[in-house]
Amino acid sequence: MSAILRAEWFKLHKSKMVPIILAGPVIGLFIGLSANLEDNMSGVPINEWYIALFSMNLTYALLFLPLITGVFASLICRYEHQSGGWKQLLALPVTRGKVFIAKYVLIMLLVMAMQLLYLCSVFAVGLIKGYTDPFPMEIVWKSIMGGWVATLPLVALQLWMSIMFKSFAAPFAVNVVFTLPSIFAINSERIGPYYPWAQPFSMMYIGGSTDDVFFVPWEQLLTVVGGGFILFFLGGYFYFQRKAI
Amino acid sequence: MMGKLLTADFLKIKRKGLWFLTLLGPIGVVALQMVNYGVRKDYLLQQSDDDWGYFLLNIHSFTPLAIVLGIAILTSFMASIENETNAWKQLIALPVSKLSVYLSKFTVLAILLFLSSTLLMIFTLSYGLFLNLGEPVPYLELAKFSYFPALAALPILALQLWIASVCHNQGIPITVGIFGVIFAYSSYVLPDWMIWKWPSLMNQWDEPIINVMLGVGIGILLYIVGMIDFARRDVK
Repeated sequence: MSAILRAEWFKLHKSKMVPIILAGPVIGLFIGLSANLEDNMSGVPINEWYIALFSMNLTYALLFLPLITGVFASLICRYEHQSGGWKQLLALPVTRGKVFIAKYVLIMLLVMAMQLLYLCSVFAVGLIKGYTDPFPMEIVWKSIMGGWVATLPLVALQLWMSIMFKSFAAPFAVNVVFTLPSIFAINSERIGPYYPWAQPFSMMYIGGSTDDVFFVPWEQLLTVVGGGFILFFLGGYFYFQRKAI
Repeated sequence: MMGKLLTADFLKIKRKGLWFLTLLGPIGVVALQMVNYGVRKDYLLQQSDDDWGYFLLNIHSFTPLAIVLGIAILTSFMASIENETNAWKQLIALPVSKLSVYLSKFTVLAILLFLSSTLLMIFTLSYGLFLNLGEPVPYLELAKFSYFPALAALPILALQLWIASVCHNQGIPITVGIFGVIFAYSSYVLPDWMIWKWPSLMNQWDEPIINVMLGVGIGILLYIVGMIDFARRDVK
């Protein structure tokens, strides 16, 4: 297993993924520095960091995070789709199941790296704007980790789609079709909690209840994120087992 | 020569899902408003005296996002058709100039984009009539909200086609497309010179026609730059 992971890692080195991972913090900086919610909220006694987090998390978690996970998934299948790479990879003494899991694990590590870089960009925005309030470490960690957990099912579906389609555009189109409606879903109290593509937003939304480990109740986390993960992961896993290469 | 290239390009996009996506974009934008108006029609009708105008504004809140993402997807698809089988070489080996190859690709994409806008107009009108938003129907405004965003998005089309056709790794144009949609989503904070703001038809003078003229002008300029760069590069 570790050998496959290492092989995937080497392939990734040459895939220009560093600039794409850096896209996360760049977007974070852009939103954080361009938003000027402070003017509207001056006088409201609230930790300044919350204001930055509100505006940054909105765009980041609603659109950017679900969309970029699809790019990671496509990127990780890119070498295999070029000139018979699947055949060469699967001719090695590896099982298809292990290849699928290794690719999935690596994408989740990339998403984690991007979340951590995004955390740095939150911090940088605060430094540039000269916030003096204490940094709400606990809240921020909840938000960063929550966003990561919420991408578990989305990454599984995207990996499935990326294995299925040769081009980058097709899995991305699937991703867009599901991600854009979440702009509406988050406004609806009935649909929002059950829509998997709205979960990154719900999990990163710092206004949620703070009693649980994450910002959403456990039932919602387990059913929507967990259920979606199992569905998409098994779907992709069995699709890959039977795929003709 | 141009006619034959166009025919070839239209043949190549058959059964690849491009026509389907061209149809899906406007359907998606109107379908989201169907959900919106289906759930809270009474509330939305109270928001404004000008029901048609308010309806068009609601539709228009999603059009720029759909256009920016649609352009990113279609241009990347268009380039993948040649990339996947290394067909650029074979295509360029034909007795055609590289400039006309690029022009043909751009023309096909522009046709798809305007087909999409026309469909958007038809779907918007049909759903508006179904909602019974009252007389008179503002046909001029309807046409403006359907075609202006597409015209203002021409620079984005030119930029995305440029990046997609010179990058072998399609992850790069797709990531640029994601940046584009983030910019389009936060267009109210962007300065007027950013091309991703233009499809939203907002500017400091409040004159949508300025965005259209800028869009067409800068679109042609970016198209020429992209075409020249494409022609000068080696085909790998």
